[in-house]
Amino acid sequence: MQPALSFGELLERHELELYRYALRLTGTRHDADDVFQDTFLAAFRSWPPPRRDNERAWLYRIATNKAIDHGRKRRRIVSLEDLRLAAPQGDGVSLLDLVGAIRVLPAGQRAAFVLRRVQGLPYGDVASALEITEVAARARVSEATKKVKEAMR
Amino acid sequence: MIEQLVDEARAALITRAAAEDLVRVGYGVIDSPLGALWVGVGPRGITTIHYGDEPDARELRRLLRTYGPGLVPDAKRTSPVARELDQYFRGKRRTFDVPVDLSGLTPFQQRVLRATAKVGFGDLTTYAVIAKRAGNERASRATGAALGANPIPIVVPCHRVVATHGSLGGYAGGLDAKRRLLAIERGDDVPEGGWPPAKESGRR
Repeated sequence: MQPALSFGELLERHELELYRYALRLTGTRHDADDVFQDTFLAAFRSWPPPRRDNERAWLYRIATNKAIDHGRKRRRIVSLEDLRLAAPQGDGVSLLDLVGAIRVLPAGQRAAFVLRRVQGLPYGDVASALEITEVAARARVSEATKKVKEAMR
Repeated sequence: MIEQLVDEARAALITRAAAEDLVRVGYGVIDSPLGALWVGVGPRGITTIHYGDEPDARELRRLLRTYGPGLVPDAKRTSPVARELDQYFRGKRRTFDVPVDLSGLTPFQQRVLRATAKVGFGDLTTYAVIAKRAGNERASRATGAALGANPIPIVVPCHRVVATHGSLGGYAGGLDAKRRLLAIERGDDVPEGGWPPAKESGRR
C-alpha cells in the first residue's frame, strides 16, 4: 500500500501545473483563481484520491469539469496580460493559438486541446480527464487543433 | 510571477477549506539561527517543530494518523509560533505562550514531554530526573529515546536535559544546536562535552 497523502502534499505536487491549466482554459486570472480553488476544494471534500498512482489525472478531471461549469456562467473574456503568465512553453502552439482556442472552441474541445497540446499530457490521461476513451480523445484533439488552425488563418 | 498568483489562490483556498473544517494542521517553514524549521500547528497548538524544511516520514505518519489528511501550508497558523521563536532566539522571550499538542504520542512519551516542559529557561536537568518525574525512575534510557523523538523541540525544551555524568547526551537537531540553545539561555559558551548538571539535578 502507498503511504498516506496529505492535502498539502497534493497541493505542493500539482498546484502550479493545475493553476496554469485553469488559466489556459479560462483566459483570465480571476476565472483561473475560481477554477483552481474549486478544484482543490472538491478534491479535499471527496478525499481520498480514487487511485493513488493517478492523482494527477483525477485533478485534471475535476478541473476540467469545474472550468466547463464556470464557463457556462461567464462571458468568454481573455486577458492577454494574465495569459502570458501561462504562455505555452512547448513547440507548435503559440500564445495566439491558445487565445484562439479559448475564443473559438467549445469547452470539451478546448480542454482536449489544452490538455494535450499545451499541458502535454499523454492521451491516456487526456482521456481520463475528459472521461472519454483514448480513441475519442485523439479524435477530439485532432478536431480541436484543426479548428484552431483555421481560426488563426 | 505565476508563483505569486498561485500563492494567493492557495491562501484563498486554505481559508475556504478551513471554513468547511477540512483543515486540521497548518504548516510552514521558518528560518532560524539553527537553520530551517518545519512547523505544524493543529487545533490545540503546536504539533511539530522539525529541524529541516520538511518533516521526516515518521512524523508525517504520526500527523496523518492523528489528524487525517487535512495538513496544508498555512502561514496564518504558523506565524504566532514563528514570532515567538524569533523572540526566543533574539533573547527576548523565556517561555512560550502558544500551547503544544501532544496528541498521537504514547502516554509515556506524553509524561516525559510534560515533565520536560516544566524545566525552566536556563536550567538543566538529567534523563534520570525526567524519568522519575514521568513515573519510572529506572527508565532513563526510554526517557532518552522519548526525548530523542520529541516532535516539538525548543518549545518542549529537551535541550535542557543532559546525561547524569555531565555530558550533553543527544539531540535530534545535532549537538551543536543543543549547545547553541543552551548558550542562548545561559549566556556563555557551552564547553565541549557540555555542562555538568546543575541545580535540581545536581546530585550524582
